[in-house]
Amino acid sequence: MAAIRAEGLVKRFGGEEVLKGVDLSVEEGEIFGLIGPSGAGKSTLMRSLTGYLSPTQGEVEVLGRAPVAFGPKEKRRVGYMPQGFVLYGQLSVRQNLNFVAGLYGLRFGERRRRVRETLEFVELWEHRRKVAGDVSGGMQRRLQLAAAIVHEPELLFVDEPTANLDPILRRRFWEEFRSLRDEGRTIFVTTQYVGEAELCDRVGLLAGGSIVAAGTPDELRHQAFGGENIELHVAGEPSRLTEHLGLLEDLGSDVEVRGGQNGKGEAVSVVRLLVDDADSKLPEVLKAFDWADIRSANVPKPSFDEVFFRLVREQ
Amino acid sequence: MRIGAVAAKEFWALVRQPQLLLLLLVGPVLIMTAFGLSLDVRDILRPRALVVVKPGSEGAELFERYREEFTDRTQFVGTTGDLESARRRLQRGEVDAVITIPPDPLGTVASGERTPLGVVYNTINPVFGTRVPARAYALVLDLNQSLIETTIGGEIGNLRTIQERLNELDRRLEEASAAAEELASEEAQTVTTELDEALATLEGSLGALEESEAVEGDVSETLRGINDAQNVLGEVREVQREGTIGERSGLTDLRESVNSAQEALAALPDDVSPQVLTNPFRLETENLATPPDVVGFYARGVLAILVQHISVSLASLAVVRERLSGAYEFFEVSPLRPGELLAGQFLTYLGLVLGVNLAVAAVLAGFLGVPVEGGYLRMAFAMVLLTVASLGLGFLISALAKSQLQAVQVSMLLLIASGFFAGFLFPLSEMRGPGVLVSNFLPATYGIRALQDVMIRGETVSTYDLAGLGAMAIVALGAARFFVGRRKH
Repeated sequence: MAAIRAEGLVKRFGGEEVLKGVDLSVEEGEIFGLIGPSGAGKSTLMRSLTGYLSPTQGEVEVLGRAPVAFGPKEKRRVGYMPQGFVLYGQLSVRQNLNFVAGLYGLRFGERRRRVRETLEFVELWEHRRKVAGDVSGGMQRRLQLAAAIVHEPELLFVDEPTANLDPILRRRFWEEFRSLRDEGRTIFVTTQYVGEAELCDRVGLLAGGSIVAAGTPDELRHQAFGGENIELHVAGEPSRLTEHLGLLEDLGSDVEVRGGQNGKGEAVSVVRLLVDDADSKLPEVLKAFDWADIRSANVPKPSFDEVFFRLVREQ
Repeated sequence: MRIGAVAAKEFWALVRQPQLLLLLLVGPVLIMTAFGLSLDVRDILRPRALVVVKPGSEGAELFERYREEFTDRTQFVGTTGDLESARRRLQRGEVDAVITIPPDPLGTVASGERTPLGVVYNTINPVFGTRVPARAYALVLDLNQSLIETTIGGEIGNLRTIQERLNELDRRLEEASAAAEELASEEAQTVTTELDEALATLEGSLGALEESEAVEGDVSETLRGINDAQNVLGEVREVQREGTIGERSGLTDLRESVNSAQEALAALPDDVSPQVLTNPFRLETENLATPPDVVGFYARGVLAILVQHISVSLASLAVVRERLSGAYEFFEVSPLRPGELLAGQFLTYLGLVLGVNLAVAAVLAGFLGVPVEGGYLRMAFAMVLLTVASLGLGFLISALAKSQLQAVQVSMLLLIASGFFAGFLFPLSEMRGPGVLVSNFLPATYGIRALQDVMIRGETVSTYDLAGLGAMAIVALGAARFFVGRRKH
């Protein structure tokens, strides 16, 4: 069942159309990453999904209902981590979380328990007495995440959680998201780090106000390159292979051969071809080259930056 | 160079906020304009006066004769014969002064006493409150002056008549005295006696001659003439003997003239003191209220303005701050309703402002010694009302403001407007036109009056102020709730 569904979602501010008919579906229990260049409308889309913004046109359903019509009961099922730190710098870490737990209607005993659990989960329990304004930016982001999950929401909206964080902290955040996903929660996350798309179950690429591609990271990669690459390293000059290239062209496309040397100074030919499914085609490719001295064969995965670049350029 | 860069940055930052610029420009201009149009300095010193005088009485006649003295010195409202209804109007604040003219003012003066001109007023303002007795004093001076001028003019005519009578008296007295002196003199009496004796001798001789018939002719005719002469002479002697010379020489008339002159003089008040004659009216003032000293009076205004300003300042930043920090977006996604957000902030601010109120009130009562005639419970009630209405207004500002600077600016304008239009510096009764309109939208207007009623007059908060503050709180909080909830893009 879809936790989030958007069809033909249009959002205009004045005369400017920021979202131009977004179609989107996020299944329950998955991490859905929304990536896109700066100014693509990621935050606008997220705000439209949380109910903070009303769509100008189109339909949005979150947990089976239009989010702008959410009552307190539906809102308790949703958590939201905004892009910046919006809690109170004058309050302590625990006071901030206590406040948010109160907003979501957690009663005293439960609140106490959940505040502790959540602070331990984001590793802030030891810093609970510190004033939020005095802790590091990373801690503030973790506190903000704690505020989004303290009431154990089914669906979590997270807007650029790892922006401006160091790689170690970013990795920790993603571990926490996966942990939450494993508990059965749905996570909708936007990020400006394209590489983080790899960490999502499914990814939507937003560009120019529209979803230009959506699917698993591999599906997007496939979509960006039109298939998967197989790369063979064969001993000898490329001229030796010329008469056998016809076999490869029957198995794939974009066959490319170039010469080079290995570490010992021996001549090596690098053969690359694009296939629809590398796992199924690799045995056939190896069979076609069984006469040659194959030093290595692999299926290289292009970086998501490359995927992103290609998809956006195509758009 | 660096200063120029900062100046340019500030300039462009301001230019990018047209609403703020508009507020900065229009706010002070509007306040100044309203202030200029709302205060009539001439009217400030002229209380609204109602004259109480018995219709058809000498007092009413006197009022009509000197009407201008009353209408020029006051904003004359009218006359009535009912003192009690006039006092009720005074207590309701419809008039500033009730002037009572006694029914028989000149009779009182004639009896040797100064006529009291009663002036009743009802003010607790120790500064502007003095205008009624001051104006009343000037009115009495004018009345006395006018009365003396007209009265002396009339009395000079009467004195002239008396003077003419006295001159005639003097002339006639002189004549009578001369005649009386002549007739009553010893020489005249000797002549009269000798003449009488001569006439008696002549009568005897003629009688003998008539009997002897020695004389031809009619002697009897001569004798009758002698008898007539004797009779006249007898009357003269009788007058000389009986002393009725005055009556016969006009002295009786003279006495009548004297009596007449005496009566004329008796008509003038003989035992009236010069003070009464020169100041026939005296001023009797009565203030229905007991005004405190200047500090005591203005302390309530300061308290009300402080309460309003603290409340508005706190509340005006409440929502706009959450919105600008991004917290409001977080709240929008959470189950927190706009009304709950406002209610939570309201409760905290109410408690805080009431704490401040308590401290200020303690300083007022304990340190400055300002009495609270109506008791602390009533004062607390008035302050709670004022706080609630002011917080409501602050929340409304906050719901509409687009930046914290805008909210602060509006709060400051509200403070300035309250100084001018809420009855703090100038009495509300002196406000006209736009000033009155503005005052109706300021919590301090109702708050100052309510605190004055409670703390100075010892009364409860009036229904009008209760309704005003209550309505303002309900409307402002309702509107704030509406605008906070409506800001969904």
